Amino acid sequence: MSEELVIEEKRVFMTGNEVVAWAALAAGADIMYGYPITPQNEIMHYWSRLAPRYGKDFLQTEDELSAGFATAGGVMAGRKAFTATAGSGSVLMQEPLAMAEMMRLPTVTVVQQRGGPSTATVIYSQQEVTLTTMGGNGEGMRVVYSTAGHQDLYDYTIKAFNLAWKYRFPTFVLGDGYQAKMREPLTIYDPEKRGITLLEPDPYVGREGEPGRDRPPAQYRNTYNLEEELYEKLMSDIRDFEKISTEIAEYESMHTEEAELVIVAHGIVFRAVREAVGNLREQGLRVGGFRPVTLRPLPAPQIRDLVDGLKKILVVESAYGQIARLLKEAAYGAACEIHTLFKPGVGIAAGEIEDRVKEILK
Amino acid sequence: MTGRIVEAYIGEYASGKSESAINRALELARQGRKVNLVDLDLVEPFYTLRPLQKELSGLGLEVIAWKTEETLGLGEAGAVIKPAARWALRREGDIILDTGYGVEGARTLNLLAGAACDPDLKILAVINVSRPMTASVKDIVAEVSAMGRVDGLINNTHLAEETTVELVQAGARIVADAAAILDLPVVATLADTKLAEIIGPADCLGNQVRPLQRFMPKAFW
Repeated sequence: MSEELVIEEKRVFMTGNEVVAWAALAAGADIMYGYPITPQNEIMHYWSRLAPRYGKDFLQTEDELSAGFATAGGVMAGRKAFTATAGSGSVLMQEPLAMAEMMRLPTVTVVQQRGGPSTATVIYSQQEVTLTTMGGNGEGMRVVYSTAGHQDLYDYTIKAFNLAWKYRFPTFVLGDGYQAKMREPLTIYDPEKRGITLLEPDPYVGREGEPGRDRPPAQYRNTYNLEEELYEKLMSDIRDFEKISTEIAEYESMHTEEAELVIVAHGIVFRAVREAVGNLREQGLRVGGFRPVTLRPLPAPQIRDLVDGLKKILVVESAYGQIARLLKEAAYGAACEIHTLFKPGVGIAAGEIEDRVKEILK
Repeated sequence: MTGRIVEAYIGEYASGKSESAINRALELARQGRKVNLVDLDLVEPFYTLRPLQKELSGLGLEVIAWKTEETLGLGEAGAVIKPAARWALRREGDIILDTGYGVEGARTLNLLAGAACDPDLKILAVINVSRPMTASVKDIVAEVSAMGRVDGLINNTHLAEETTVELVQAGARIVADAAAILDLPVVATLADTKLAEIIGPADCLGNQVRPLQRFMPKAFW
């Protein structure tokens, strides 16, 4: 007999991976498919401990290719299915997740970025931005939330399920090894008690009734014989994605209006930016901060406004220009100077950002 | 000076095992005792004591943990128990053992030579009631029961910087209820140095309060 899940709203102390497992429960996820890789392992550990208690399922597959395809299969069977991975596991998952893009499957994937390329470190990086936003042989028709700590991991994992099932695009929660392993307090809650309606999944295959008589046949394809046919299908998806982009894009900004320089970062690095902006402003420097929360789609109009009204931005990331490339595309044509602080695979502290800002403003 | 003190700290992931072990070792060292602090974490090795070794040695502890240059792959490639850790119970002085998390972490004690028959060994489970996996009496009882031999519970209820005296005391009551069902003693309540000062030498149930200085923010995670 499984217990009924009751999540009382309260402050708790957890590691980031546990937060994801609890958030998936709170979001009404039915099943996780996964293959172990550090630093996401405890998502699987905690989900597989909690799942039987609440009548949920877990399947460990033989590799990440299989975990990705099984997640797609779970979704097609009408289950809220998710997976989690990192690093070279993310690389393997691109094939099934590109299929999910093609078939408009609401998969939810949590990526806890580790160092790259290849096996590299098990620890931390922001080097999976390109892979998560644009991986796969397609056009990147996917939604990516970049979180900056445990409350974000909880909120956006819940949001990811709803968004995926509402718009039917593969959705990602992009964390990193630091967020996965670090411990901090957060508020857990039952989303329905906060007025968030959890969308019910419905099956793609095995529906009631005779196909062709009672309902249209269920035909989901990742193969197209004719290029015209593919073009029509892709353009329809691209139009859908562009239509929802302004509606779903999210960002956070601080003191951007009267700033001389704005520091742009995403994810955990933005926590260092918040601190740096505070310190620099105390020293009388007109500095602001901007954080895209969705890396795909980017909050393009806000980035446009930012660079049009500014002389300088500083892009800071634990990668060698992955978010910077996305930003430059959104900022194309602006006269704003783009400065950088790139530290691939290592953490960035507020002090380093402050030093770089002072160097630029000298 | 009382006899030899041997304590192993086990518990849930992020329950505060390393913090408890370090602070206990330092408390004993401050009393002028010879203390060995041993890293037995094979579940997620190298992350807690390894980066703090130098600082802790400087504070007078004999730290038995792998050094960075001796490690390979930070755990990804599997972890080997350090021979000195395996034979730690043969050392002179007090022995404080920091283990890995969960049931597997507690099982590491099976690798410790002489653990089954050491007359002084106390295995203590560290509990933070603010962690959802050990939030209720029922959860704590289930968690501790799965861990094999346990000789006592430690209340380490906290919410990092947001911890209040009320929270620590509420944790003490829940841990005590679980301890009663498990027929185990509550060995101590841990609290950040500032809160410990407010609470005083004993918590609301009369358990000893051990002041805690936080070292983990300086460690790996």
